[in-house]
Amino acid sequence: MKGYRDYFLKKLAWFVVTVVVAFTLNFFLPRLMPGDPVAAIVSRMAQGMSNATGVQAVYEQYTRLFATDKPMLEQYIIYIRNVLNGDFGYSISQYPRTVADVIGASVWWTIALQFPAIIVGWIVGNTLGALAAYIRKGFDKVLLPLSIFLSNMPAFGMAIVLLVIFAVDLKWFPTSGGYDYAMIPSTSWEFVWSVIVHYQLPFWSIVLITIGGQAIGMRSMAIYELNADYVKYARFLGIKDSKIIRYVFRNAMLPQITGLALSIGTMVSGALVAEIIFNYPGLGSTILTAVLGGDYPLISATTLIITFMALVAFFALEIIYGLIDPRIKAAQSE
Amino acid sequence: MRHMLRQLLQSGRFLIGFGIFASILLTVLIYPLFINDPPLEIVSRGTFLAPGIYVNVYDSMNFSTHYTLILDDAVAQRVGARLNDEDRLAMQEWLLAAGVLEGEINIEDTAALIELWNSNFDPSVRVPGMTNADRNYYIRLTDSLEGLLATEGAIVAVPNQTTGVLEETGVINQSDYVNIGEVPNFRVLPLGTDNFGRDVLTELVSATGTSLTIGFVAGAVATAIGLLLGLVSGYVGGFVDDIIVFITNLFTVIPSFVLLILISFSIGQEQRGAFTIAVVIGLTSWVWTARAVRAQVISLRNRDHVNLSKLSGHSIAYILAMDILPYIASYVVMALILQISSGILAEAGLSILGLGPRTTEVPTLGLMMNWSMIYQAHILGKWWAYFPVILVIALISFSMNLMNTGLDRVFNPTLRG
Amino acid sequence: MAKVILEVNELTTRYITRFRESIYAVDHVSLKVEDGKSLGIAGESGCGKSTLALSLMGYYFAPLYYTSGEIIVDERHITGMDPDAVRKTILGTEISYIPQAAMNALNPTRRVINFIEDVIQAHRPQTTKREIYEMARERFELLGLPAEVLQKHPVELSGGMKQRTVIATSVILSPKVLIADEPSSALDVTSQKMVIKMVMDLMEKGIIKALVFITHELPLLYNVTDDIMVMYAGQVVERGAAQEMVFDPIHPYTKALMGSIIVPEAGLRNVKLAAIPGTPPNLKKPPSGCRFADRCKFVMPECRAASVDLRDIGAGRAYRCIIPEEDLRRLYKNEK
Repeated sequence: MKGYRDYFLKKLAWFVVTVVVAFTLNFFLPRLMPGDPVAAIVSRMAQGMSNATGVQAVYEQYTRLFATDKPMLEQYIIYIRNVLNGDFGYSISQYPRTVADVIGASVWWTIALQFPAIIVGWIVGNTLGALAAYIRKGFDKVLLPLSIFLSNMPAFGMAIVLLVIFAVDLKWFPTSGGYDYAMIPSTSWEFVWSVIVHYQLPFWSIVLITIGGQAIGMRSMAIYELNADYVKYARFLGIKDSKIIRYVFRNAMLPQITGLALSIGTMVSGALVAEIIFNYPGLGSTILTAVLGGDYPLISATTLIITFMALVAFFALEIIYGLIDPRIKAAQSE
Repeated sequence: MRHMLRQLLQSGRFLIGFGIFASILLTVLIYPLFINDPPLEIVSRGTFLAPGIYVNVYDSMNFSTHYTLILDDAVAQRVGARLNDEDRLAMQEWLLAAGVLEGEINIEDTAALIELWNSNFDPSVRVPGMTNADRNYYIRLTDSLEGLLATEGAIVAVPNQTTGVLEETGVINQSDYVNIGEVPNFRVLPLGTDNFGRDVLTELVSATGTSLTIGFVAGAVATAIGLLLGLVSGYVGGFVDDIIVFITNLFTVIPSFVLLILISFSIGQEQRGAFTIAVVIGLTSWVWTARAVRAQVISLRNRDHVNLSKLSGHSIAYILAMDILPYIASYVVMALILQISSGILAEAGLSILGLGPRTTEVPTLGLMMNWSMIYQAHILGKWWAYFPVILVIALISFSMNLMNTGLDRVFNPTLRG
Repeated sequence: MAKVILEVNELTTRYITRFRESIYAVDHVSLKVEDGKSLGIAGESGCGKSTLALSLMGYYFAPLYYTSGEIIVDERHITGMDPDAVRKTILGTEISYIPQAAMNALNPTRRVINFIEDVIQAHRPQTTKREIYEMARERFELLGLPAEVLQKHPVELSGGMKQRTVIATSVILSPKVLIADEPSSALDVTSQKMVIKMVMDLMEKGIIKALVFITHELPLLYNVTDDIMVMYAGQVVERGAAQEMVFDPIHPYTKALMGSIIVPEAGLRNVKLAAIPGTPPNLKKPPSGCRFADRCKFVMPECRAASVDLRDIGAGRAYRCIIPEEDLRRLYKNEK
C-alpha cells in the first residue's frame, strides 16, 4: 500500500502545481498581449450595455476586482483572493447577474452532458475496438474504416449532421436548448422529460465522436496484447480462450485509461463546440455569449472553470489508473 | 530511402489519403485560374439561394431566339410544380373539414379539384384545429392556383418612352424555349449562395486554401517548437530536461483550446488576421511533438554513431542536426501532418466561437461554419451552406490520417499486427 | 527397453501467411523420448526448432496449422483429438511448456498465485483456492523458490526469479513431458546455469518424466540431455546420443555447427555459428534436393537431384546425406 500512497501523493502534488500554473496563466496571458487588453475591455464594456447605471457599476466592480490601477503582482494577489471567495465580478453581457451566477447556472449542464457522454463513448469504443481486434475478419473491415471516419469528423460536424437528420428532417428531437423554453425549470415529470429529450442529440454526438478515436486506439492495443508472450504461454498451459481474452482486454484497457486522461482536454473542447451547435445551456454556449458580448470577466472565469474541470478529470483518471494497474505500485516501491 | 518510397506507393492507405489530399490541394490551386472572382463578393440579393443554374429572365425574353418544342409532359410538369401532391391532400383535408362529401373530391383531376376549391374555399371560415400558419398557407395556395390551367401565352409589354402607355412587344407561348447557350447572362452556382448572398463554391475553395495555409503555418510553428524542445531536452538531459519535461507535462494537461480562446480573445478582433491565428494555434499545440521527439532522441543518444561524433569533438548543434535529426525525420513528418490537420480543426472551433480571424479579408472554413451557424442554415435546411464545409474539413483530416497510418506502417513495420 | 513417453511420427505443420502461402516449418519430423530421458534439439535460428516446440504441444492456433503425422504421449494419441479436449486433458497435465521469452511469459497485471489458480482450475475446476495455494507453495519450495513469490506481480520479480517462477508454474500439474524452448538464452551466465540446474532437477525429483530441450547453444545440450537432434530447414538432419553427436558428427551441417563449440569464449560462439556461409533456404519454395546443398562444402551435382532420406545407422543414430558415413569422416579428416 505504501507504493500506492507515494503514487497518490506524487499525483496530488502534480495536480496542485498544474492548478496553480493554469490559474496564473489565466491571469497573466491576457495581460501579456500587445496593447492594453484591460483598457480595451473597459472601453468595450460600454458597447455591450445600454443600461448606464449598469455600465458604471460594472466599471467600478471591474476596477475593484482586477485592481487595474495597482501593480501587476498586487493585482494577481487580489485576483486570487477574490476567486477563492467565489467572486468573479459582474457579467458585462448579462448585467446585473454576477459571473459566478452565470457559470453556476451553466456548469452543471456541461458536467451532466459531457461526463456521461465521454464515459459511455469510452466504454463502447473500447468494447468495439476489442471486438475488432479479436474477430478481425469482416468485423474489423467494417469497423475500422468507420471508426477512422468517425474520429476524423470534427465534433461540430457530427453535431450538425445529427441535428439535421434527427431534429430538422425526422423531427424526432428538438433542434436546440436544454429544455423546452416554454417551460419553467421544475421537478415535474414534463420538465424532466423535456430535459431528457433535449439531452439525446448532444449526448450521442459526443458519444459517437469519442467512440471513433477510442475504438482505433483499443484495437491496436488489443492486437499488440494478443501477440504478447503471456498469451501464448497461458494457452499452452491449457487456460481457456475466454479467460485469456479477459487478460488481454484488461491489459489493453489500462493504457486506454491513460490515453483518456491525456486527451480529456481535447475532448472537452470538442464537446464545448458541439454544445454551441445545439445551443445547449452549458459552458460552451456561455463562452459564445461572452465572446459575442465582449464579456471579459465571464470568458476569463469560464476558461478557468473548464481548465479546472479538465485537471480534476485528469487527476481522477490517474488515481484510478494507479489503483487498478499493479505495475504502478511496484514501480513506486522500488 | 528509395525502398521506403516504393513501400509507401504500395500502401493502399497512403495512396488513398494522398489522392484525396492532392485533389483538394489541386482544386485550391487550379480553380482560381478559371474563376477568379473575389471570394467575398456578394452576388445575390437575398440569402441562401439554392444550388443551380441561374438564367437571366430578361435576357431570355428579349435577346434570345425562342424555339418551339413540343413536349407532352410540359403541362403536367408545370401544374405539378405549382400544385403538388401535398397541396392536393391539404386541399382535400380542408374541403372535408368544411363539410364537402368525400365522394365529391377527386384530387387526381386537377380541373375538377380547382373548381371545387374555388366554389367552396372561404378564407374567413375557421376550421377547427387550424392554426394561423395553416390559414396563410391556404390563402397563398389559392393565389397560386390562379391561371394555373390557362393555355394562352404571356404577353410582354414595355411602357412607351413618351406616353408611358404599355405597348405589347411580344407573346411568350407555353411551348417556347430558349437555348441556354444563347442567353448572354446566366450564372452557375453549384453550391448556391450563403447568408450574405456570396457564391459558396468560390468562397469554399478560397476558404480551403486559407485554412490549409493556417494549418501549415500552425503545424510548422508547432513542429519547430516541439522539435527544438524535444531535441534539446532529450539530448542534453539533466536540469534542462527536467524543466522542459515539466513545461511539456503542464501543457499536456491544460487544455490548449482554452488557452487558444483566452489568447484569441485578448488579441481582439481587429488584430486577428489569419496568420496571427495560425501562429497562436502553433504556439499552443507543440506538446505532442516535443514528447515524441524527446522519447526518440533518448533512445538514440547513446548509439555508436552519436558517441563517435561526440568523440570527434562535434558541437551539440552539429550532432543534433547530422546524427540525430535524420533518424527522427520520419516521426517529425508524421507529427507535422497531424499538427496540420489539428490546426485546421482548431481554427474551425475558434471561429465557431466567434474568435476566428477577422471576417473582412478572407474566408476560412471555420468562418464559413460560423456564418452558416449564426444564420441557422442547418435549421433552415440550407445544406449547401454548411455541409460542403464539414465535408472538406473531414476529408482533409481523413486524408492526412490515412497518409499517417501509411507512413507509420512503412516506418515501424513491426509495430502493427 | 524403457517405456516411451513421447513419440512423434512424421509430424508436419505449417504456417499460413497473410498472403495464403504455406511455410512448412516442421517437415516430417519423428522422435522418441523414453522415460527418464531427455532430448536436445539444436539448429540455427529459423531452422524450425521453435516451431517444432509449438507443434509438439498438439494444440494449434493461427498462423500455425497441423498438417499430418502423429504425437503420442504415454500411449495416448493427441493428434486428432478435439482441441478443447487437448487443452483440458493434455496441456499442462501431460505436456507442458517453458517459453522462449520467459521474461514476458507471465501476465503483467496478475499475481503469480492468481495465474496458477487459472491454470489449475482450467483442468480441475473443483480445486479450492486454499488447496491450490498449498499445492503451489509445496511445489515452489521443493524447487527452492520462496513462497512469497506467489503473492507478487511479475514486475516485482527479478529476471532470474521470473524465469524460475515460470518453470515452477509450468510443472505445477506434474506433466509427463516438458518442452523447454531456449529457456536460458536471454539470461546472464549465472542465471542460465541456475535455470538449467532447475530443469535437470525436475527430472531428478521425478516431477517430469521426459524433457525436450531446445537451444541454439550446443554445449548446453551436451551437458543437459541424453540425445541430440539437429534440425535444418524444418527437417531433422541428424540424431544420436549426445556424446556421439558432439564428438563424432556425421552430417556436414552438424559438423559445421559443432565447429562452434571448440571456441571457448561464450561471446564468440554465435559469431562462429553465423560463419557457416550462406543462409537457410526459403521454405515457401524449398529446394527439391538436399536443403543444405547451397551451403555445403562437399556438395555434388547429385545432391540437388532428389530429396534425401534420413539414413538410419542403428543405435538411434541417423543422418540425412547421400554421402556414406565413412566417406564423410574421411573428408573431415582430409580437411585437417
